[in-house]
Amino acid sequence: MTADIKLDPVTLEVLRNALPAIAADMATDLQRTSYNMMIYEVQDYCCALLDAEGRLICQNIGGVSHFVADLGVVVKDAVARYGKGGFRPGDVLIMNHQRVAGQHLNNVCVYTPCFFNGALEGFAIVRAHWADIGGMSTGTSAPGLVSDPWMEGLQLNQIKIVEAGVPDEKVLGIIRDNIRFQEASMGDLRSQIASCEMATRRFDELFTRYGSDTIHAAIERIFDETERKCRRIVKSIPDGVYEAASFLDADGADKNDVIPIRVKVIIDGDETTIDLTGCSMQRKSGINGRTLAGAYIAYKGLTGPLDNVNEGSFRALKVAIQEGNFMMARYPAPMAAWSRGLPTVVDTILKALAPALPNTIPAAHMGNLGGSLTFYGVDSATGKPYVSQTIEGGGWGGRPYEDGVSTCVSVCQGDVRNSPVETIELKAPVRVDRRALRENSGGPGKFRGGLGIMTEMTNLLEGKWSLSNAGRRQCPPWGIAGGGDGRASVNYIRKPGDDGREPFDPVRTQCAPGTSVMVATAGGGGWGDPLERPPEWVALDVAEELVTIESAAADYGVAIDARTGALDAAATESLRGKMRAARGAKA
Amino acid sequence: MSLVIALDIGGTFTDLVAFDFATGEIRQAKSSTTPYDLSVGIRETLVKSGLAIAAADTFIHGSTVAINTAIERTGARVALLTTTGMRDVYAIGRGSRPESYNFLFKRPEPYVARRHTFEILERLNAAGEVVTPLDEAGAAGVALKLRELGIEATAVCFIHSWANPEHERRVGDILRRAAPETSVSLSHEILREYREYERTSTTVLNAYVGPKVAKYLGDLESLLKGFGFRGKLLIMQSNGGGMSPEMARRVPVATMESGPVGGVIAAAETARGLGVADVIAFDMGGTTAKVSLVRDNKPDIAQGYLVGGVGHGHPVMLPVVDIVEVGAGGGSVAWLDEDGALKVGPRSAGGHPGPVCYGQGGTEPTVTDANVALGRIGAGRFLGGEMRLDANAARAAIERVIAAPLGMSVNEAALGVLRIAVAEMSLAVRSVSVGRGHDPRDFAMVAFGGAGPAHAAEIARELHVPRLIVPRAPGHYSALGMLLADNRHDYVRTYYKRLEEAEFSDIERVFDEMVGEARALLESEGATPGQMAFQPYLDMRYAGQEFPIQTPVETALIAARDRGLIRAAFDGAHSKRFGHQAVDEPVEIVNLRLTATGRRERSSFPAIAAGAPGSPSEYRDVVFDDPEKPARCAVYERESLRAGQVVDGPAVIAEYASTTVLYPGDRLEVAPSGDMVIRINAS
Repeated sequence: MTADIKLDPVTLEVLRNALPAIAADMATDLQRTSYNMMIYEVQDYCCALLDAEGRLICQNIGGVSHFVADLGVVVKDAVARYGKGGFRPGDVLIMNHQRVAGQHLNNVCVYTPCFFNGALEGFAIVRAHWADIGGMSTGTSAPGLVSDPWMEGLQLNQIKIVEAGVPDEKVLGIIRDNIRFQEASMGDLRSQIASCEMATRRFDELFTRYGSDTIHAAIERIFDETERKCRRIVKSIPDGVYEAASFLDADGADKNDVIPIRVKVIIDGDETTIDLTGCSMQRKSGINGRTLAGAYIAYKGLTGPLDNVNEGSFRALKVAIQEGNFMMARYPAPMAAWSRGLPTVVDTILKALAPALPNTIPAAHMGNLGGSLTFYGVDSATGKPYVSQTIEGGGWGGRPYEDGVSTCVSVCQGDVRNSPVETIELKAPVRVDRRALRENSGGPGKFRGGLGIMTEMTNLLEGKWSLSNAGRRQCPPWGIAGGGDGRASVNYIRKPGDDGREPFDPVRTQCAPGTSVMVATAGGGGWGDPLERPPEWVALDVAEELVTIESAAADYGVAIDARTGALDAAATESLRGKMRAARGAKA
Repeated sequence: MSLVIALDIGGTFTDLVAFDFATGEIRQAKSSTTPYDLSVGIRETLVKSGLAIAAADTFIHGSTVAINTAIERTGARVALLTTTGMRDVYAIGRGSRPESYNFLFKRPEPYVARRHTFEILERLNAAGEVVTPLDEAGAAGVALKLRELGIEATAVCFIHSWANPEHERRVGDILRRAAPETSVSLSHEILREYREYERTSTTVLNAYVGPKVAKYLGDLESLLKGFGFRGKLLIMQSNGGGMSPEMARRVPVATMESGPVGGVIAAAETARGLGVADVIAFDMGGTTAKVSLVRDNKPDIAQGYLVGGVGHGHPVMLPVVDIVEVGAGGGSVAWLDEDGALKVGPRSAGGHPGPVCYGQGGTEPTVTDANVALGRIGAGRFLGGEMRLDANAARAAIERVIAAPLGMSVNEAALGVLRIAVAEMSLAVRSVSVGRGHDPRDFAMVAFGGAGPAHAAEIARELHVPRLIVPRAPGHYSALGMLLADNRHDYVRTYYKRLEEAEFSDIERVFDEMVGEARALLESEGATPGQMAFQPYLDMRYAGQEFPIQTPVETALIAARDRGLIRAAFDGAHSKRFGHQAVDEPVEIVNLRLTATGRRERSSFPAIAAGAPGSPSEYRDVVFDDPEKPARCAVYERESLRAGQVVDGPAVIAEYASTTVLYPGDRLEVAPSGDMVIRINAS
């Protein structure tokens, strides 16, 4: 019926802008009122409008990218369970069950149905990372520590917490009583509900103004246009079957084997298939999930990274993945570290496409969600609990035309901000000793990989440190087109009184005052042959202390006078000549 | 007090507005901006005005020197001094990627090289206590090195200097002694608020633009001296207030976003004159439209912004009149994308070649062309008849680029172009009003800029804004606003404590310090005690939240130590903005803020005459809602309107650089001030 509506291009353009504006406003309100740094700093949330079939109308941009277009399954499941007639205005539902949502339980979806003239027209939904969801830890955890969903926390399976405007105090009470940091999570729940209610009102205003037939027709058109644009871009990529492989660090729970990531990208005209069936089957550790995010993030980055996301964004993409794959795990499977493998999957898909898109594809980036430092405890003098947490970025790969970006969060994280030194020290008995670029960590290349970070902190009172080992140590960020690997990440600890530091990944480890911990994040891979990097650039890198004199000589064949810092052109030429000759001999 | 002159340098024009308190006369002049040497355009405008510059008491000036220096990266050679271990805080920033799906994203390009960034051995804790004493000898060594490196300006930002500025101060002294000819920016003097990256970025930008701004001010002072000017020079700030040139030399970064604020101040004052407290200021020019909110006759202020855009801009955490800008102006180009979707902007045809109807070689239809095609802007009367517009060329371009490919009539296509532009501007209006918890029905809209009055009635309709005000001289409004600006200085101190545990004596002491500093500064700028006003604020949030709300709190409430009323003020503000509150949860204070104002005497337009109402100068066909049924529409010259005159829409009011369009049902009444007050859908 909607196909018959004659939709004028003006109304279409108005709605094309007005709909995403609602999702953007939901995100602003949520972030500004939330009580937990996972939302206000890490932006670990997404806000969206979906239609009554669970198709994505619009989603906010800027938050964590691995939530891209993944709310449809939640709403489709709800409609299947309650029926389209099973919702009333004023209902609020809550859902984090892994059977369908497929992520760690902290990612709690809250949503409200939207009606117009008595008909169910869609849903406003906010998924946000709660500070805690009960269970044996705080929900998230190192992959090896929890082995099933019940250990992970409270499972909420499409529960109506508000029915027709009346809150179910019993259910809310159960939730409150079974989580830590109640104030924070109940505050976040309030923010989520308020965001959905705001969106429901705005959605209603649009329906009142333009009528339901027009809106439906416009949404279909917007989906179609988005799909066409993606197809047009894919059409410009040479046809072919492109493959690449990498792996995730061993997770210990099964055995000490690394976890294979094998991807195949098939470009056929304007159609794309991303085949993930060669990746590991589900694991005993918590790296499992039910998600297409790895494929979606890579495809979105290729087909319109700055455009809004909607149902059309992925209609021209087929993702081949089998039930039981670690990214399509069968319930019950531990999912506490569900997103851990995704940055590597994205890196590997891009790597596969490097021969097809030699002027676009960068070398690999830091490749994990890590660089996180958490310190918490109770001040015994005042009895007050404290917690400080930060996520430090790493290096990104060199690009076919410029150096990689330094000290930035991964491809799965968007506007995720580190915690300022002054905020950390205001909130917790911690001194930040250093937050610095990690010299020599960028992979050598004609275009150098970006640098990782080195952040060092000391606790002033006794408390617990957690420094995540986020992976990609055995498979460091790779170079492309002859570029070298970036340096892998490592964490250190130095106990009071010790001289040296030793590699260590504390997990809720009780530490005496004066213990220093350090996170060193990975550098990005290099792009192209480092011997082709202009010597002046290498000299500048040395002057800027991004690359040492030793690395300039050994990795780039560039000779710098240690005393004056001057570039020695003649020595460089001879050094590079020797290095090229040695390569020839090897080959 | 007799003659006051305001001069505003915009991208296209240098504008002058002057007010003579003795005669009540207003004078205006305009000439082209001369980007290669701004003083050429200033001189020309001053000469053109015919004013006795020597007789002026006050000269208020706004320019884009600071922002252009930052954007074009033509500033000073800057060094940065940091606390040990923090050399890279500035380069690392917050490590985020706002363009989350873009794996080829860019980061802000630092204004200081890493090799020009030096660590000084010193450390404070969050309480401001010395953990590691300042290594003065080391600092002196670095100071010498900076001379060798030819550093022109130095930024100093130490950890927790907001809590105790002593180390920064001492290093400042060392630097000034070592190189008196270079400038020094100390972070605590620019911004005494926690978060080291944002404070460093603000301080570095201050250092970076400083020498250029100082030179510009010197040139301006000698130019004015050449005209015999001996009065007081005031420089516009991003916060909508004026300041002395001495202050502008110390904190040049405060002038960064002063360009568009004049119009907002003028809108607040126009509204005050009409007895209206809350307005939406709507400014539409050739390239963009800017929207901001005025409540209780005060422009909304934001605590910071990004220089260079979202995603890769540099934070400046100083107060700025909160303006939302969208790429829709009279020159915005209408086009079809690859899928045949109709788009307007953000590209603009600019002043040259400009819209097709200008006949200067433009071929792409613009918003102005759509207005001309529909008869809303008269072809014969543009710029008072100085420029004839080619309506046929405008129609032909719309036909070729839009109407024919989409199978529409020209009128239909032109209306569509305007509706899209209006929808985009409406989103901006919505974001400053509804988006912040304000109902547009409670506001009037003040429309100005060359293109504002032509589109405002439609936007007002869209958002149910009941009343529209088109002020006098809407095309010179920014300079006019500067004429009306008070002097203003903002202060902030981080004070991080639960409200329940706050020591009111500490809070009072900090406020007293800030008031003392502000009073001395205002006095040096010539304000009398009676002209000074001080407004304290507390930045508060629920414990656990990150984003505070700046809540005005009267001094009496602090003196009374009334925690209950203070938290009630915060609960109310939270509820208004976000639709919910949490009255049982602990509230924490984050910052103490003070806004100090030095009121200046207000200039005001002489009232216009009442008398026999002016009659239409012509009638022409204008298209409103129905593309194929134009309405026969009366066209008035604005100068012919008299106080108290009523005009019912549909009608068009033409004036020198602007056109006001009344829709059928709208009713305009001319206020004694000469401002036009339009009731939307009055009948």
